[in-house]
Amino acid sequence: MKLAVVVQRYGADINGGAELHARYVAEHLSRHAAVDVLTTCARDYVTWRDDFPAGTEIVNGVPVRRFRVDQPRDPHVFGRWSERVFNHSHSYLDELKWLSAEGPKCTSLLRHLQSADAGYDYVFFFSYRYYHSYHGTKAMPARAILVPTAERDEAIGLALSPRIFRGVRALMYNSPEEKRLIQSVSNNHEVPGVVVGIGSDIPSRPQAERFRQKYGIEGRFALYVGRIDQNKGCNELFRFFVKGLDALPKGLQLVLIGKEMLPIPDHPRIRHLGFLDDQDKFDALAASDLLLMPSYYESLSMVALEAWALGKPVLANGKCEVLRGQCVRSRAGLYYETQAEFVETLRAISESRGLNAAFSANGREFFQRHYAWPVIEQKYLDILARVKEEDARGFRGNGMEAEPGWFARRRKDVRPANDVLADLPFGPVLN
Amino acid sequence: MADFNIRTDAVDVEQIMRQIRARIQSKRGVDYTEQQIQELANVKLERFLNPKGVRSDLVEQFRRARDRKLEPFEPEQYAFDGTLMYGSHRFIIRMFRKLLNPILKLFFNPNTLIHVLDKQTKINALYEQQFNLLREKSQQRDEVDVLYYELVHNLVLELTRIGIENRNLKMRLESLSSRMDFDERRARALEGVVQYRPGTGPAREPQQPRPRPDERPAPPPPPASSAPQPVQVQPPQPGTAAEEQAGESNTARRRRRRRRGRRGGRSRTPGEGMAAGGAPAEVASPGDSGTPPHGDPTADAASDAASDADFDDDPAGAGDDRDDSGEEPDPSAQ
Repeated sequence: MKLAVVVQRYGADINGGAELHARYVAEHLSRHAAVDVLTTCARDYVTWRDDFPAGTEIVNGVPVRRFRVDQPRDPHVFGRWSERVFNHSHSYLDELKWLSAEGPKCTSLLRHLQSADAGYDYVFFFSYRYYHSYHGTKAMPARAILVPTAERDEAIGLALSPRIFRGVRALMYNSPEEKRLIQSVSNNHEVPGVVVGIGSDIPSRPQAERFRQKYGIEGRFALYVGRIDQNKGCNELFRFFVKGLDALPKGLQLVLIGKEMLPIPDHPRIRHLGFLDDQDKFDALAASDLLLMPSYYESLSMVALEAWALGKPVLANGKCEVLRGQCVRSRAGLYYETQAEFVETLRAISESRGLNAAFSANGREFFQRHYAWPVIEQKYLDILARVKEEDARGFRGNGMEAEPGWFARRRKDVRPANDVLADLPFGPVLN
Repeated sequence: MADFNIRTDAVDVEQIMRQIRARIQSKRGVDYTEQQIQELANVKLERFLNPKGVRSDLVEQFRRARDRKLEPFEPEQYAFDGTLMYGSHRFIIRMFRKLLNPILKLFFNPNTLIHVLDKQTKINALYEQQFNLLREKSQQRDEVDVLYYELVHNLVLELTRIGIENRNLKMRLESLSSRMDFDERRARALEGVVQYRPGTGPAREPQQPRPRPDERPAPPPPPASSAPQPVQVQPPQPGTAAEEQAGESNTARRRRRRRRGRRGGRSRTPGEGMAAGGAPAEVASPGDSGTPPHGDPTADAASDAASDADFDDDPAGAGDDRDDSGEEPDPSAQ
């Protein structure tokens, strides 16, 4: 079986959520089938500027074909189109223009995909919201398997999105909340889909003491791993932490790992270590008391899964339905929505040994049961087997719906994406 | 923080969150968002202004008053006097009325009527003037009323916010006072345990009355720095194992007392700190070991801290101080 993984960026040093997800999947599927990665030359997700050379290279044993981006993204143009399609009634053509403005527009990749159509049995498209996913799945819907990595953001409310969700052969969801979100917006219940998520290569013996010595960290600390950004809820985290210091467990520090995108409060109990490699990250997780996940929007938190794998409880932002759902289902973490809840939950996890031990055991068990690599690989193989069996029966999927005609495409009767988003169900999926 | 005794397979995160929220609510009241405070304030304001509530139809009155505008009132005023009574634009009629006026006065007194009507005319003019003045004032009042309404609304909003904060602070105060009571009881219990720990040394001497400060010589003042100084004691004399053990236990005891003294010193107010560390007469006086077994732990700690500070900082007179302070004699030093 020959498979392709199509993703907007790819590289051993690219750590974006969907990109890392794609790399892990490609590397693990390559043990079961021939896998090619098709991607762009871009490294920067804001401009899609060509940074890598075009051509083929091998990354961790997987062949990667890079294609040049037609044109880098103009953030101002993209912002204007986003404003129009997210907040105003617009036309289908406006959404197509928004998609082109978002990029990464890479027609050579699409041409290759179509020319090599016969070569690939199935193609995994990552991230539904990008140019390559819409036009790629439209070009070869019968072989397209989508890993949507959808979040509760405006793009899910566009009229383009449901067409992709209904047109592909199968969907690999990251969480039950994502599945419900997509099914609500597209009514694609007949399309095969499975909640998979992503595994992680957890080191068997992380060195907590090595981390403490290397970075000079003593005592207990709560850890945040990820981009230190307002979109990730870090502002609120800093505010809650600093404001609640008097009530927090004595000596508990906040250690931050990740690229700094916003000013970090200058406080003796807040330490920023910058971007760390995987070994240091896992050592830090092992040394920490708990992991903090303040993000409002997540389709799946890999670092939360890694914390659970290492037996560390997670304190998540309850306003993020996915994180909240993960905490409830795993029975290995708590969530907060207010300052008082932040303090009390942090104290509960830090000071209650019984609760901490229960969370630790539950987290390990949750990761092993749902997110260990053999489990993830098997789910991918199962869906491939199912699609292949349907092919053998002559069923090639529903196919992508025909695009609106010339006039219909220009009719400004499409609802603002934000309005559509507001109508979608919200909250964790507990059953 | 109460511990959660939860079995691994029985963890219900939602249940735990409910418990935590209930605890937050019981400890410090409900955390209201700005929107909720606004809603609460609106509810209170409506209650305040509800026609069925405290003030009847205040809202309606306010709205009516705001909507009602005084119409301009400009009646036709006229002057009235005798000439108007008998006047006419025809000369003959005017002349006949004048001629017949004495006859008319035989039937009634028209002068009074003229006078009254003249007065009424003046009163009407005055009323009109007053009315215009009132209308102007009313218009100004309408404008001020809008401001008053805003002011009352904001006051009620702030009052609601302060009420909530007050309730939260009351709950927090209760929580803190209960914690403080607990800590005091715990400190007393610990004091008792330390003083009467069996087998740690010879029994304490009986309590002696505390001499007056003016009866005692003043020892050297305590150092300004609170950094710990090494304890200098006389080298131990060879003795029995029991004596060595007793000596060790006494040393350990002194360390404990010193630590306790420091803690006590830190927790005191500055004035109390001076009483403890800066009252040399009490520190160096003989017979000041009379720490009552169930006395005030703060006083105990103060006394201990003072004696320890003096002990540490005056090594030359350490033995004397120890003897004078009424502590148990150190067997190892004798």
